[in-house]
Amino acid sequence: MAERVGSRTDLSQTVFGVTFHSPVLLASGTCGYGQEYADLIPLDDIGGIVTKAVSVEPRVGNPPHRVAETPGGMINAIGLENVGLEVFRNEKLPWLDRALERAQVLVNVVGRSADEYEAVVSGLDAEQGFLGYEINVSCPNVKGGTMFGTDEAVLGGLVRRLRRATERPLVIKLTPNVADVGVFAKICESEGADGLSAINTFPGMVVDIDRRVPLIGNGSGGISGPAILPMGVYATWRVRQSCELPIIGIGGIRNGADAMQYILAGACLVQVGTASFVDPNAAVDVHAGIAAYLERSEVDSLAELVGGLAFPAARK
Amino acid sequence: MVPVRRQAVLRSSRVVARDTWWMEFDCPEIAETSVAGQFAMLGVGLDTAGTWLLPRPFSVGWTGPGGVAGFLVRTFGAGTRAFTRLAVGDEALVLGPLGQPYVLEPGRSIECVAGGVGLAPFIALAASEAAAGRQVRLIYGERNAEAVFDLDLLRELTGHEPEIYTEDGRMGTMGRVLAGLDPAGDALLLGCGPTPMLRALAEFARTNHRDLQVSVEEHMGCGIGTCQGCVVRSSDGRWVKACVEGPVFPADSLDWTTGG
Repeated sequence: MAERVGSRTDLSQTVFGVTFHSPVLLASGTCGYGQEYADLIPLDDIGGIVTKAVSVEPRVGNPPHRVAETPGGMINAIGLENVGLEVFRNEKLPWLDRALERAQVLVNVVGRSADEYEAVVSGLDAEQGFLGYEINVSCPNVKGGTMFGTDEAVLGGLVRRLRRATERPLVIKLTPNVADVGVFAKICESEGADGLSAINTFPGMVVDIDRRVPLIGNGSGGISGPAILPMGVYATWRVRQSCELPIIGIGGIRNGADAMQYILAGACLVQVGTASFVDPNAAVDVHAGIAAYLERSEVDSLAELVGGLAFPAARK
Repeated sequence: MVPVRRQAVLRSSRVVARDTWWMEFDCPEIAETSVAGQFAMLGVGLDTAGTWLLPRPFSVGWTGPGGVAGFLVRTFGAGTRAFTRLAVGDEALVLGPLGQPYVLEPGRSIECVAGGVGLAPFIALAASEAAAGRQVRLIYGERNAEAVFDLDLLRELTGHEPEIYTEDGRMGTMGRVLAGLDPAGDALLLGCGPTPMLRALAEFARTNHRDLQVSVEEHMGCGIGTCQGCVVRSSDGRWVKACVEGPVFPADSLDWTTGG
């Protein structure tokens, strides 16, 4: 668990016009607003954090149970409980601005309508303490009933609107709950997004066979953890085939080897989520694991390996 | 009381009841700073090849000399079963101490009401408070005799004689722990156990105007407030996080009409 920052290998990545000194970020929903982890891990030793989702109004979230372990992972249905735009802007963001020097901050944004997404972005855009936005499109669209991220026209319209609302980096967190994630990646690129997070949780359900009801209070939830690692790697590769945007790989990463799968498949940054619940130090260890891989491979710079997967190209 | 993450060596592990282990780890930070009612997340970390295991919350059961902390672990599923298979000398990943403890008033007697592994926080409390001269009752219920914690060890750890209740009546008094309570008593009631027991205890306390603090149980992801998984309903209709706002709450601050 040696700290590799400052060693010979270069893990930094220049993305969205800034330098991430580490490619490892903490995933939205698993690190609160950063403060919760500040006593446990050196946040500036990793590349950055993606905040808990922020909506216009505070949200109270779903009834329990909200989380449970599943084979190879966990299910969650928190219901996007969050403090809302006002408290985030007045209390959480100033803390991030003060506390972090090197770690970058992406603010995860949710809404029930395009208006709500835009209100959050517009409400934060002039503030300090963050780099850009990660847009969570795995939310039900109150108007259409489908999720923003599963309807090509709705997603395109949302990205177009948010693009007009901000010049900051705009990253769309894709849902895997579609036939071909590459199609949705391409739409985001066409509408002016700066990057893509691949991927959000998979929809799932656990049945309590004694009570004959869903175990999770919400009924269904999102599956995360190592169970979805290969699906996330595949989605990353599909997105890489479909567009030129920088990709943040996410889904089931526990160690440097897992992260390298995403990086070779095309991701330039990665996020560690559920693994932080198992070990708060997971993201720091993932960073060290990537550094060890580079040294072992005698590669000086991580950037050389992004998308370095030799895929049998003839089989399309 | 900043929580500390550490690889903790298992010092001893023994079966103390059916499917129930008493496990002592080297955890100096927890041993030195935890207060009864606080808990720790115990797991085996990320290096368990092929096995995925979210950590689970366990009340700090006891703290002893040499930086040792004891935990009461009953197997419910694959995760807890895997955890109890750790051998002496193995390491676990421990994060703690976490959460809000029981809050005692100087000199006031306490009645600790435990159901099942809800016994855990009262082992430390009974030991320290009885030694400090406070009047302590330890009222401990289980479904059946096989589930009752090794009484010799319990006496040794707490320096106390527990009052045992079993539903099958084969050990202690037949019946449930509530039968051991005096409606007119004025000791502070402290509860820990399954939700139905806590609900009955809360109703008893409300009806008889007894002060009661309870330690609640809910599925947890992180233990430090980030995942927002472990909520319970407060009496004013909010979801409150058991991990940081609890696990110990004044019983009248919770809504007992819904859930578990």
